[in-house]
Amino acid sequence: MGTVVIVGTEKGGFICRSENKREWTVEGPLFKGWKLTATTRSPSGRWLAATASRVYGAAVHVSDDLKEWRQIENGPAWAADSDRKMNQIWTLRAGANRHFAGVDQAGLFLSEDDGESWQPVPALNEHASRPNWFPGAGGLCAHVVLVDPNDEKRVWVGISAVGVWRTDDGGETWLAKNEGIRVAIEDKEFKDIGFCVHALAQQQTDGDVLWRQDHTGMYRSTDGGDHWTACMEGLPSWFGFPVVRDPDSGRLFCFPMESDEYRMPVKGDLAVYTSDDRGDSWQRRAEGLPTHPCWAGVLRGAMAHDGGGGIYFGDTAGAVYASADGAESWQALPCTLPRVLSIEAFTV
Amino acid sequence: MASATVELPTMIANVLGGVRRLEVNGTTLQEVLQDAFEKEPRLRVHVVDEHGEFRPHVLCFINEDNTRWHERRDLPIRDGDKITILQAVSGG
Repeated sequence: MGTVVIVGTEKGGFICRSENKREWTVEGPLFKGWKLTATTRSPSGRWLAATASRVYGAAVHVSDDLKEWRQIENGPAWAADSDRKMNQIWTLRAGANRHFAGVDQAGLFLSEDDGESWQPVPALNEHASRPNWFPGAGGLCAHVVLVDPNDEKRVWVGISAVGVWRTDDGGETWLAKNEGIRVAIEDKEFKDIGFCVHALAQQQTDGDVLWRQDHTGMYRSTDGGDHWTACMEGLPSWFGFPVVRDPDSGRLFCFPMESDEYRMPVKGDLAVYTSDDRGDSWQRRAEGLPTHPCWAGVLRGAMAHDGGGGIYFGDTAGAVYASADGAESWQALPCTLPRVLSIEAFTV
Repeated sequence: MASATVELPTMIANVLGGVRRLEVNGTTLQEVLQDAFEKEPRLRVHVVDEHGEFRPHVLCFINEDNTRWHERRDLPIRDGDKITILQAVSGG
């Protein structure tokens, strides 16, 4: 069994491979010059990738071997009579029967043919509160999609700076799920929006158990997002972007940064924080990471696990770090890349 | 009906299987672009936005003539014209 880590950067994608999680090769760039904003692998074995460009727009590509890629014809797109723009595909989520794409300007798209064509999910995209949705610093983006491991009709979507939405009926109806979260930008009319979710993680054996790195702190829910409780003991800052959970060990990973004003590692300390008690307490893990001051941040999509104990993150200065032991120790991969936007890791 | 060519920049060609040039037909810029989008449907998203307007940082030349200097999309096309799609080198 080998490991493939796909690193999406501002200027293309890079494929890191290892047979032992110690020695790595780095291939690329894929999609040279394009932002690689999201990747995933379908249960069919097909790879999917989303590209974007400040000049040439956003598209989805598919591959059977990570070498030959084909841009699909009917990617996520807003209607011609819409006043929205398809700026970027932030996340791709592939399931056995349905794939989801979360996009900027915010919306959710669905594919039921393994990524060949995508349709909007109107009940969310045209929600009554939509005219009041307000963008975060990264844009008005739907950047995370989770599917209940035991019920594919139950889906969560995180939109910045709007909040978390959940459907229990396959996308026909959606409810905001932000109770217990400190509001980021209070809306005058709709009191259940204005929440700036940065990332979500889920317990794979129980979809009701969720973690949320929010603009206003780290939170946990044990009822599918109906209620959220802050869980930040041991974190040097309430602010950060990614939160990841290793499915085997249950360990949680995050990367605190100093406040929304600065968005840099606290005191220049490049460190991952982990929790083994479902977020009740957090511990610093930095062995093998640079000991000199580092001021590069980690974006919301730039941390991932491989499902086999490996954890990976990339920073805005183009470094990529890997741990084979759940963040107990780290190594830098042999590359300096453009700004890292997304990381996905796979055991193959 | 004129026959013309549409030349694509490398970044677009690289995601369209290496297609650098399309042979197109039409009498106006609008018609030849439409023909290009029909021959290579995946090209449209890279050149125009949701409303069919050129993306802000995309330039389109007819031979040496920057079409942005005209407000019309029905600019005439003649046999042998070369339509070039370019990235606007704006800012640094």
